[in-house]
Amino acid sequence: MFQIKNGKYLRKGERKGLKIIIVGCGKVGTTLVEQLRQEGHDITIIDKSPERIQALTSLYDIMGIVGNGASYSVQKEAGIEDTDLIISVTDSDELNLLCCTVAKRVGDCAAIARVRTPDYSTEVGYLRDKLGLAMIINPELEAANEVARILHLPTALEVTRFAHGQAQMIKFKIPPDNILDGMTIAHMGKNIVQNVLICAVERDGEVYIPSGDFQMQKGDVISYVSSRQASKLFLETIGFKTNRVKNTMIIGGGKAAYYLAKQLLHMGISVKIIEINKKRCEELSELLPKAIIINGDGTNEKLLKEEGIEYTESFVPLTGIDEENILLTLHARQISKTKVVTKINRITFNEVISSLDLGSVVYPRYITSESILTYVRAKKNSMNSNIETLYHMFDHRAEAIEFRVKEESPVTNIPLMDLPLKRNLLLSCINRNGRIIIPSGQDCIKPGDTVMIVTTHTGFHDILDILR
Amino acid sequence: MNTSMIRYILGYVLKIQSLLMILPFLVSLIYREPQGACYLAVSLIGMLLGMLMTWRKASDPVFYLKEGCIATSLSWILMSLYGCLPFWLTKEIPSFTDALFETISGFTTTGASILNNVEGLSHCALFWRSFTHWIGGMGVLVFLLAVIPLSGGSNINLMRAESPGPSVGKLVPKIRHTARILYMIYFGLTVLQLVLLLLGKMPLFDAITTTFGTAGTGGFGIKNDSLMSYSPYIQWVVTIFMILFGVNFNVYYLLLFKKFKNAFSMEEVRYYLLIIGAAIGIIFFNILGTAANAFDALTHSSFQVASIITTTGFSTVDFNLWPESCRFVLVLLMFIGACAGSTGGGIKVSRIVIMIKNIGKELNSYIHPKSVKTINFENKPLDSEILNSINIYFITFTVVFTVSLFLLSIEGHDLITNFTAVTATINNIGPGLELVGPTCNFNGFSNFSKYILMFDMLAGRLEMFPLLILFHPSVWKDALSQKFSRE
Repeated sequence: MFQIKNGKYLRKGERKGLKIIIVGCGKVGTTLVEQLRQEGHDITIIDKSPERIQALTSLYDIMGIVGNGASYSVQKEAGIEDTDLIISVTDSDELNLLCCTVAKRVGDCAAIARVRTPDYSTEVGYLRDKLGLAMIINPELEAANEVARILHLPTALEVTRFAHGQAQMIKFKIPPDNILDGMTIAHMGKNIVQNVLICAVERDGEVYIPSGDFQMQKGDVISYVSSRQASKLFLETIGFKTNRVKNTMIIGGGKAAYYLAKQLLHMGISVKIIEINKKRCEELSELLPKAIIINGDGTNEKLLKEEGIEYTESFVPLTGIDEENILLTLHARQISKTKVVTKINRITFNEVISSLDLGSVVYPRYITSESILTYVRAKKNSMNSNIETLYHMFDHRAEAIEFRVKEESPVTNIPLMDLPLKRNLLLSCINRNGRIIIPSGQDCIKPGDTVMIVTTHTGFHDILDILR
Repeated sequence: MNTSMIRYILGYVLKIQSLLMILPFLVSLIYREPQGACYLAVSLIGMLLGMLMTWRKASDPVFYLKEGCIATSLSWILMSLYGCLPFWLTKEIPSFTDALFETISGFTTTGASILNNVEGLSHCALFWRSFTHWIGGMGVLVFLLAVIPLSGGSNINLMRAESPGPSVGKLVPKIRHTARILYMIYFGLTVLQLVLLLLGKMPLFDAITTTFGTAGTGGFGIKNDSLMSYSPYIQWVVTIFMILFGVNFNVYYLLLFKKFKNAFSMEEVRYYLLIIGAAIGIIFFNILGTAANAFDALTHSSFQVASIITTTGFSTVDFNLWPESCRFVLVLLMFIGACAGSTGGGIKVSRIVIMIKNIGKELNSYIHPKSVKTINFENKPLDSEILNSINIYFITFTVVFTVSLFLLSIEGHDLITNFTAVTATINNIGPGLELVGPTCNFNGFSNFSKYILMFDMLAGRLEMFPLLILFHPSVWKDALSQKFSRE
């Protein structure tokens, strides 16, 4: 009944999880533990603080070790020899890199490090290749990218890119008196646009994967997939403005603010940063000569007014304190119609947050864990397909996954209408050599395609998982 | 408080128990004993009840330390109440209190008996009695964790409440795999001992029951004179396996995965073996004069030392008649107990070692008032929280001990009898000295005293706090208020 494998006992037929070590149990570490555990991996955590280890090990079914994760003996105690993956997400970039370097020497495992200081951000590719790391993650940079994408298309609540940016998934809310209010999806497909696919709808806290006869209502939050060119056209057709913002106001001058300002300036959007620390202001003005840097308390109502919060086209609170960010967002939405993007780092009261109607919300820790989950699932799967991108929608209630189909398999060359697909699953887009196909029943998957699906099932790691 | 999850766990415990009760029924078929029918009936009723309790899944599978402790102690009480039914219903132990005492003594691996004539019992009763040791040794909830997928990671709270020792760690990241490994080691050692005993020409039934008694470090024998009448070979096999079952099971895990260096450097195990060696030496030289020959003296001294320190409680000789110094050494060993993470009871070697180190630290601070010194154990600095919890454990142990001793003294037996009776039950050993010595039993106590001793056995096995928490008023209030609000 039992078999021994790499020091683990498995019952036959039990799906084997990877052995993963996570060093550092801060926000990202904890989120990773939560999500990787759900996918059934064997997790060992290392942290210097006994209290954190104690708290996490009594909450989750994982093993904890107190110590310095970069130390050889601590790694050995955690069983580095037969570990598949080590993820280092401590506060210090240098420690993370050292930790992964040591691990690569001792055990034969893949390593992922978090490096977020701007000093290294331009050298990430070099560092990764030279140190032999599987991935270097920078949550601040990725959060900034996401904010920039939203500011580029301010009508959207979220903009996610697939197929190397060729396809986009865009989330928006149907306002009152929109032409989509009361329209079925089939009708929209026939009469308005063809090359757009609505793949998920959230209504009253429930997430639906809609079929053709689904009737949309005002207040629904809709996610659709289309090629990059078609998505803008679609929004314009149904009566949205699609101009990007011209200026933005950022509160707090941390790393994320720097990355964001740099991108926005590059796109030609003017940036104003309000930062409380004088010394940091000077650094920022050195790094970002084109931006306007204001030294002052961003939570001061008078200062915000003086700096024109009522007239700014977009407003991004990026302070280190989530509660402040939320408060600033609520304030901004109350006094003006500016586009606001809120960053939430730490707090987890999802229901409260979604009931507050904050508009666009960016969660750096989820962005990070998504890219790591993508890697982990891809590592686990078989030969004939590969996960390219994984994206959680609507508070993890639905997943969008992009698979690369490598070779012939039971899903290829069969018209989609004849494939026995699982329920609550939608094949939403096919990327064939850079051409985006929004599939209909006659289309079929071919080897070499990347295929994007949206589903409320979780834990897919192979294209064959879509079949019943 | 998550009462529905506690109900669910209790239901599963009941189901597992009733499945295990099929075994004595099978034994009765072999020996053609009419009592077996009773075991089958009780098993079926338990199965039905367990099914009812697990019919509805718990609405919320998450539970915390509090729920873990409550579920654990309630399961042990439920197990004991359920496990004593066959003894009582078959009239082999006519009094309910006595049947319960015998069962609790079995599950907590104490081995204290109220039976005057063990040999008069039917085979199935003898088997069930010894089997309770085996079940209780590693713990039913650990078994539960190994076989059923309880969702949620908070299961560690169940294991913490049930496993002995100051800090409970996992061997591998998943608790299910940890529990499985522990049971595989337990099972493997049990089979090994069984084979060795059979090689010594021990009858099969005797070998099985003796192995159960050794593995759980319980101590129920199937003969009135425990193991006195068996050959020295059998006594030596039992001696060695008692010592092996008293070792921290982490050692076997490390050996299994070829981490020999780590296995042999375990501080607790080294102290444990050292104490055993010293104790055998003292007793050997003390009884050398009165024993028939040197080999006999060595056999008896090592068997008794192993039996007492691992809290098993088998005997090959009436050590009540030994010189006073030997009797003292044995009583001292009763308190020390086995290693943490083994099947044995007592205060545990690791706690004793840490407490002694703490005394050393305190002395040092009198000589160098400003000195800073951390205490190391197993090559790691000890957290002040663990030190604190060990001290509090010891104080609680003393308080429970003293109160029990006082309540027992009301009855009027002599002090040594009372003292060793409490010692033998709270440390899960079995026999004490004088009136509860190895050739006597606990039948002489009144029902009231028996209940006190039952409490001591459970408190000792669950290491005080999980059981004591049941008496905390807020737990009752919580459970009651929830019940009313639901109605």
